[in-house]
Amino acid sequence: MKAEQEPFLQARAVRAGYSGREVLRGIDLEVRRGEVLCVAGPNGSGKSTLLRAVTGLLPLRGGEVRIGGTPLGVLSAKERARRCAVQPQVEAPMFDYTVGQFVLLGRHPHRPPLAAATAQDRDAASRAMEETDLAGFGERSIRSLSTGEWQRTLLARALAQEAPLLLLDEPAAHLDPGHRFAVHTLLRSLAREQNRAVLCVSHDLNLAAEFSDRMIIMTQGRVQAAGTPEEVLTEPNLREVFRCEALRVAPNPFTGRPGTFFAP
Amino acid sequence: MNALPRLCLLAAASLAVFVAAVCIGPTHLLDLPRWFELLRTGVATPELERASLVFWELRLPRVLLAAAAGANLALGGLLLQAIFRNPLAEPYLLGLSSGGALGAVVALAAGAASVTWPALAGSLALAAIVLLFCRRRIAADLPSLLLVGVALGALAQAFTTAIILRFDPGALRSILFWLMGSFAGRGWTEVWMLLPAALVGGLAIWLLHRPLDLLALGGESAHHLGVRVPLLQTAGIALAAVLAALTVAACGTIGFVGLMAPHLTRKLVGAPHGVAVPGSMLVGATLTVGADLAARTLLAGTELPVGVVTGALGCLFFLALVAGKK
Repeated sequence: MKAEQEPFLQARAVRAGYSGREVLRGIDLEVRRGEVLCVAGPNGSGKSTLLRAVTGLLPLRGGEVRIGGTPLGVLSAKERARRCAVQPQVEAPMFDYTVGQFVLLGRHPHRPPLAAATAQDRDAASRAMEETDLAGFGERSIRSLSTGEWQRTLLARALAQEAPLLLLDEPAAHLDPGHRFAVHTLLRSLAREQNRAVLCVSHDLNLAAEFSDRMIIMTQGRVQAAGTPEEVLTEPNLREVFRCEALRVAPNPFTGRPGTFFAP
Repeated sequence: MNALPRLCLLAAASLAVFVAAVCIGPTHLLDLPRWFELLRTGVATPELERASLVFWELRLPRVLLAAAAGANLALGGLLLQAIFRNPLAEPYLLGLSSGGALGAVVALAAGAASVTWPALAGSLALAAIVLLFCRRRIAADLPSLLLVGVALGALAQAFTTAIILRFDPGALRSILFWLMGSFAGRGWTEVWMLLPAALVGGLAIWLLHRPLDLLALGGESAHHLGVRVPLLQTAGIALAAVLAALTVAACGTIGFVGLMAPHLTRKLVGAPHGVAVPGSMLVGATLTVGADLAARTLLAGTELPVGVVTGALGCLFFLALVAGKK
């Protein structure tokens, strides 16, 4: 059971950036199986860069990333994809696939190079579509989807990977309140019931407060605050990070979790 | 799920076009009652010998060459459109055609008998320069590749024109035919150069069909799904360049096939590369064989460069594409 106790994603003193510009200046974070970690922070604070660095898209300039206990650099591309699935913030459909074909692409890391999809692959894909409220969309063209349906299709593809670690970049960005709630409920149940480690970048502080076990607030490539939502979402923290004096924090009258409000 | 029957239909249609192209020409080969009569009497008449000569030495190599050229260009277009996620990508963007033309013209000016190898060297050299210029940002950076390709292509064209102006009028006509693409006067040598390339290249690309599906999602998504993106991009671009360069060397510049065929294929058999790879080989081959058939039969007594026909087809195709979108 020791392996269960060890964080599934570990990042230590991670530094990364683009050509001359250093964006991440020493980030530490851990995500354990069974928990949801939300990362918030102002635009340009390095949230998306963090996702790129911990998934190996961006070479590290310092520090170390371990997924499932193994250093990132040692994992083969497919082994990394079996351990870590990502829902990208934006992806434009290029060619015309059906939703079913598209979600099945998430099974790539589990399939030998030329093998046809097995029953197991098809089950994983249809389970992912059910979980994202896309049952019955299998034969629809991905070009015919609304923005919200497309976003859920991207999430379904990541779920079909059946990776213990799930990274999401603004999974609810274009969704209506109903589906936004549904996605966050799903993320929490993925952590609790399927024992996955979930890391979610979000601008929606209230939803993050409701649904995450721990939060991190980033600013200028560093971690400003980390802990439970109550510890992180305080007025001094938020005002400093977002440079907005009108931000106020009060408990949600229904759940008691911290809520963020504007009081101009 | 009905992609396979569609692919079979496409193969049947392609075969019909190939057979028609072999049979139609100044010597019609599809005169069954007469050939049956000749075979029955068993006398090797001069007529039969002539037909056999036309079949083995003219029509068959010509159709095979056109088919292989079309398949090569279509495969190149399919690869580059998936790699760059851009519907306008095609192998000639890499500067292959102007590089090949410069190589051929230099060789002719130097008095060489065959332009095949100089053209191959020219197109590969130019493609290599274009790719070296862009190698840092090759990841899906089509615009800079396009700009470098256009710039270096213009430079090569300037040199080509300067050299052509020194040619005598007779040589001018043959080089013009070469520049516009033609299958006239080619034979089995060129077939043995292009046909194995098309088959081996097609098989290699088909083996990569699932990674290509993923790459068409974009580099970042493909990475997250376990594809070694830089490796696949580099291999794909290199493969497209070699296939197209061989084609340019063997039969000149045949425009628009590399651009049109992948689009038509996705409409006919679907986008997943498992079917789109064989599909685009068939579509490219059929387009080119059909265009060549038109080029040599449209005007009685004279032959058009096949590039003229594919160019006209390409124009109509794009107008239809734009009209269809509105």
